[in-house]
This record gives sequence, C-alpha cells and structure tokens, in this order.
Amino acid sequence: MSGTSTPAAPRGATQPAAADRPGNTPRPVRRRRRRQISLDKASFFAVALFLPLTVYVIFVISPFVQAVYFSMTDWSGFTADMAFVGLDNFVRLLGDDKFLRAAMNSALLAVVVPTVTIVIAIGVATMVTVGGSTTGGVRGLRGAGFYRVISFFPYCVPAIVIGLVWAQVYDPSRGLLNGVLTGIGLDGMTDFPWLGDPRTAMGASMFVIVWSFIGFYTVLFVAAIKGVPGEIYEAARLDGASRFRTAVSITVPLIRDNVRTAWIYLGIAAIDSFVYMQAMNPGGGPGYSTFVISQDLYQTAFAKGQFGYATAMGVVLALVTLLFAGAVFLVDRITGGRDDVRGHA
Amino acid sequence: MSTNKFTEGRLAQAALDRRTFVRGAVATALLAPLGGALAGCAVPSGGGGGGTAAGEMSADNPFGLVEDADVEAVIFNGGYGFDYVEFAAEEAKKQFPDVTFEVSPSTQIAQELQPRFVGGNPPDLIDNSGAGSIGFNTIADQLEELDDVFEASNYEGTTIADTLYPSVKDPGTYNGRFVALNYVMTVYAVWYSASLFDQNGWAAPATWQEAIDLGAEAQKADKKLFVWGKEAATYYQTMALDSAIKEGGDEVRLALENLEPNAWSHDAMQGVLEALHEIVQKGYFVPGGAGTQFTAAQARWSNDQDALLYPSGGWIENEMKDATAADFQMTGFPTPTVSDSSALPYEAVRAGAGEPFIVPSAAANPAGGKEVLRAMLSAEAATNFSETRLAPTIVRGIVPDDGFGSTALVSQTGMLDAAGENIFNYQFVDYYGLNADQLVVWNAFLSGELDVKGVTDGLQKISDDVAGDDSVEKIEVS
Repeated sequence: MSGTSTPAAPRGATQPAAADRPGNTPRPVRRRRRRQISLDKASFFAVALFLPLTVYVIFVISPFVQAVYFSMTDWSGFTADMAFVGLDNFVRLLGDDKFLRAAMNSALLAVVVPTVTIVIAIGVATMVTVGGSTTGGVRGLRGAGFYRVISFFPYCVPAIVIGLVWAQVYDPSRGLLNGVLTGIGLDGMTDFPWLGDPRTAMGASMFVIVWSFIGFYTVLFVAAIKGVPGEIYEAARLDGASRFRTAVSITVPLIRDNVRTAWIYLGIAAIDSFVYMQAMNPGGGPGYSTFVISQDLYQTAFAKGQFGYATAMGVVLALVTLLFAGAVFLVDRITGGRDDVRGHA
Repeated sequence: MSTNKFTEGRLAQAALDRRTFVRGAVATALLAPLGGALAGCAVPSGGGGGGTAAGEMSADNPFGLVEDADVEAVIFNGGYGFDYVEFAAEEAKKQFPDVTFEVSPSTQIAQELQPRFVGGNPPDLIDNSGAGSIGFNTIADQLEELDDVFEASNYEGTTIADTLYPSVKDPGTYNGRFVALNYVMTVYAVWYSASLFDQNGWAAPATWQEAIDLGAEAQKADKKLFVWGKEAATYYQTMALDSAIKEGGDEVRLALENLEPNAWSHDAMQGVLEALHEIVQKGYFVPGGAGTQFTAAQARWSNDQDALLYPSGGWIENEMKDATAADFQMTGFPTPTVSDSSALPYEAVRAGAGEPFIVPSAAANPAGGKEVLRAMLSAEAATNFSETRLAPTIVRGIVPDDGFGSTALVSQTGMLDAAGENIFNYQFVDYYGLNADQLVVWNAFLSGELDVKGVTDGLQKISDDVAGDDSVEKIEVS
C-alpha cells in the first residue's frame, strides 16, 4: 500500500473527502491544508494521484474485497450461485486436520528457509567482497567475480524447472544423488526415497528452495556491503577483528535494512512455496509432510469444487503472511533496529 | 517497505504517525462505499449464452444444428491426446460443410474452464478428464442430458444405442440424468509381459497366494513382483477394491460406494490388504516408490523389466508406448481373488466407460457439441480411435481379432468376453474426489510404514469425513 500512495496521498485525498463530508475529518488539519485549487494543481492530482489510485483500487484492493466476500460463501466455483454462510468456513478450517497440518508446514518453511538462505547468502557475500587476503586493501577472495556469477545461476532457472529437475535428482533408483552416494560406498542409500520418506521429504524440499534463492540474495547483500565505506573494514582489521567477528559485528548491523527486506520477501515466498512443492510432491508428500496451505487451497478449489472454502484458506494465508511481515518488523524493532549504526552516524 | 527510511529518527516518526492516520482515514472512507459496490460486482451475473436459434431437426440433423454455426470443443490432452476429436470433427464437417468446428486441447480442464462456467459461456463440448477435471458433483445439473445422442442414428444409418456396449450410460448418469458420455471402454487388470513369462515358465497368478509364490520366483530371478510411483499408488487401491468386490460380491461394493461406516473393514477387503501387506513385508515391491515419479516407475516394469506385474487400466499400453522393451507382449489378466470360493468368478473384471464428454446447457451451441459426439460414435471415428490409441471405445465390434497388432488390445477384448455378465464398476473415488487423500495413505502402506490396521483406519477416515460433510451432495448407489 505504501508504495503508490506515499507523500502525495494525504494532502490530495483529504481535499475531496473534506468537501464531501464536512466535519468528518479533524478540523485543524483541514483548515491548514485549504488552498486555492488551480487547474495546474487539479490536473497534477488527477494524473499523479487519482489515476494510480484508481488502478490500484481496481486491481489490488477489489480482489482482496472479493476474496473476503467469497470466503464467506459456499460457492462451488462453477456456477454463478452462492449462498452467504458467514464465518462457517473459518470455523471449519479450525477443525480441519489436513489444513492445520499444512499451516504448520508453511510456518516451518517461513522460519527455516529465510534463516538458512540469509545466513548462507551473507556468508557468500562476505567472502566475495571483504573476506579475501588479510594483507593489502580490503577485498574479496581470489576469483570472487567467478563465484558471484556461479552463485546467481540457480536464480535464472524458473522455479517449476528447478522443482522438476530436483525431483529427478532425488529419484530413488535413477537419481543423481543416490547414484553419487552409492558410488562413494554408502550402500544404505540404495533406493532411498528422499522425497518419499517422511523423515527427509521436508528437508530435501527446503534444500531445493534455499538452493534456488541463495544467488539472488548473495547479489543483494554484495550490493549492500559495497555501500559500506571501506575504511570501516580497514579499521576493524587494524583492531585485529577476525573475519567472522567482522561479519557479525560490522557487516550485519550495517546492512540491517537489506537483511530485514530479504527476510520478508523470503518468508512470503516460503509461506507460499506452491511451485516447488507441487513439482516435487503434488500429493503433499509422505504423510502430508510437505503439504502447504497453497496446495490445500488448490486441491480444495479445483479437485473438490469448493471455491468458497478454498478462498477462506486464501484469506488465512494472506493473514499469516501479514502477521509474518509484522513479526519481522517487531523483532527488528525490539532488537534495536531503530538505533542501528547509521542512525547514530 | 519504502517507509523504512522514514522510520529513522523521532521527528520523522512523528510525521509518519500523522500521515499514517490520515491515510487510514482516507482508505476507510474510500473503501466503505466501494467495498459494497465491488462485492456486488464480484457476484457473477451468469446467464448469457444458450438459447441460440435452432436449426430444423431431421434424421440427418437430429439436434437441429444451424447450418453456419460455430462449434467449440475443449478436449483433455492426456493419455489419448486430442486429435481423435479433430478426426471426428472432420467427419462431422463432411455432413455440415458450412459449420466451423474448432477443437482445442487443454491439460487443465477445471482451471481453464472455471471462469467460463461462471461467466455463462462454456464451450459446446468438453472432455472432462485428467487430474484437473471438474468434479461432477459440482456441475452435473448444468449439463445437457444426452439421451437424444443415443437415440439418434449414426452416419451409417443405425441407431447409435444399438451399436454400443451395454450399460455405458451408467457411469455418466447422476441423480437419474444422463449427462456425461464416456467414450473409451476401460478394462482394469494386472499387466505383464507374456514373452517374459513364457521364457521363465511363469503363469499369471489367480489368487493372492499364487501371487506371493510368484514373488518368491521373481526374487530368484533378481526381480520384484510389483513397482509403484508416488502419483499412482492408488492403482493398488483399485486392484484391492476389484479383488475385494470379486471376493465378497455386491455388498462390498455398495458399502464402499455409499461411504458406509466400517466398509473398509469387510473381511474380503481385509483379506486383500493382508495379502498386499505380506507382499510389502517380503520385499516384493521395488523400494522407494513413494519418491519415484509414476511414469519412471512404470518404465522400470515395461522397459527394464525389474518388476513382473503392474495393475492399471487399459490405457497403460498407449501411455508407455515410448518406454516399452522391444519383445514385451503386454497382456492383462483379471485381478487375483482372495480364495477359490469368491462370490464372483476369477474372470470377473472391473470395466467401464471412461473419458467423460459433456455438453454444458449454457453453451452457445449445445446442438453442435452433440453433433461432434454423434460423429465420434460413427464407425469411421471409432475405428480411427481404436487403431491409433490401441484402446476400445464404447462402440462394439470395432476391434478386429488381431487387435490392430496390439496384444494388450486383444487381451482386453478377451477379458471382456470371458467376463460376460460379471463386469462391475464403481465411481465413489472420482465422484467425491478422494484420490488425492487416498494417495497419501497408499504411499505409506506400500512403503511399509502402515500395517493393515493403519491403512484400513486411514481409508475409512477419508470415507467417514465425506460421509459426515453436509456440504457434499451424496449419490445413493444401489
């Protein structure tokens, strides 16, 4: 929401609202903002404010409103008829074992995938920017450019292809993974079903998701680290800080904004993760161990013809995502995100 | 997220609070009236389509197709492809030169056509099949009844109903209305390579004990008895259901179809599950099926011949055409029985018409949809289908004795003939969309993670959940 309606929104939008319904908006604000409306200004508002706002309302807000409405109906999805059932669908969700299992899996993904991806991406970004030789100027490892390009490769492959390729890699009898493992003498891995065993299915799926995202976040963090003045690293090194200490005490606090952004984007992707899970285990995995909310939604809507109920799942999914973003901001604030290094500089 | 920078510093923070407040107020003011209006828009208007001018009805034009009409068919592009409908459309074009027939493929029927059903302009003919098919309990009452297609005469001049296998209307009849014409005759059986069995002196097992013994033989030859893939684990459920129905007769079938409590605990069903559990425990399944893609698993049977047997429908030959060993004489045999004294004879098979074609009532040109069906039921089009897809259609007497050179097709006709009256079918799995849930249970059972009680409880719970769900419309089967 903030993206399209920032600075100009309050001033422009209060004007008509105040004119339409006097007394509804706080008086002092209104009085201070009242000015002559010239043609110039009006056309500016029309183009810069109302046009994007209209587009936004039609294509972003209205689907949300529709979704909330549909989630309170018994719509089958294939007729124009539906009955309003209030919160029945949501009550039903609370007693739906399969959905609760899917919600737990989505929550697990939201915690593990961003954490692992960000730790590894920061590690790689550090190594290719400031983790190089300890003599001379601060620089990355030898061949850093090569590693940066290589690590970005997986991100260039569409998610569905990644899912299908890894499903083949994990194939018990013909897969590359078991081939390598048995090749080095681990005979216990013969015919081991990575995606078909409840103990490994989720881990194996998470690995694929992390694998696909590391490249992009490495590049993001490389850019962020490049924005940190080199003198800070030089000073740390003169003080005798190790690479690890530098990464934890200098790099992470200085690129904190980027880490938080990465956390939110990755969390949203992980809570969804539909494409990966559908490509690797369309049925939800052994014992529903990799079943996620988005898959439950898809099955309920299209296989069972219960669009109303499925939309309720979608609304819950949206709420979970919002809660997740809120939680990240909260944690960031509690851990001192407002007084980070740059804030004091 | 662009507000991040503003959050730094207390001054900026104070400004943001006021800004957020005003923005919130504006948004509320905007959304309150708009929300109502939009929710109103969200309810689709429906109607539309339908009720186009009808042409003159005659013997040559039994549905009153308008001479220069447009006919649109959307066909599931799966194991059978979709060009056999294009072939039929060309046959129809010979009868109606001025009509434009458009046949398009789809692999996601429900996803692609859902908005068109809601908008009231669905295509004139749909092959509602595949994993993304539309559940019949949601659309059955929006479809045209197709009795008049059976009553019409085909392009050769014979009444269509007289050219078909008996009871082909049953699978497409919902609450007494015949709305789905199932085109392909599917025989469910267990498949093997006759040549491989001859070489080794093996015989197709008629009971589960014989199957277990064959498993021991296979073990000696360094092979397994069965193989499965994660998306097709329920093929073993089909086999188990067929065997249990043969053992216990109609009471087993009716209990399952009507979602009765403890239906899965019937002695006949338990006997089959015990036998399958023993086969799993003895290691006669190729391991790792729960993590293997089903076509890859099927190739281990048809191409590598690592496993001897595979339960499936008659589509298996066409599906694995490109991954079958050269001298693999694919042959089917009826599902083994539990005992020698089963209620139905060993020869009994599950067979039924599949690949349901539907004509939505709201379509612009339902007569055109029916005309394509009539063309598909002509001898010309039916022969084309059987010859190129190696599967029988519901039209009788099309497949010659050599089965167009296909051993699988010959054995299907043979099984149908041998079964005679003992042909049965059931639909509760598809009708209620249970397959996705049952797959999870069967993958666990075949992996050895569930015992007989575990698989019984798991499957019973899936039936019970549907039986207890008031929002699902039930069909009574008798």
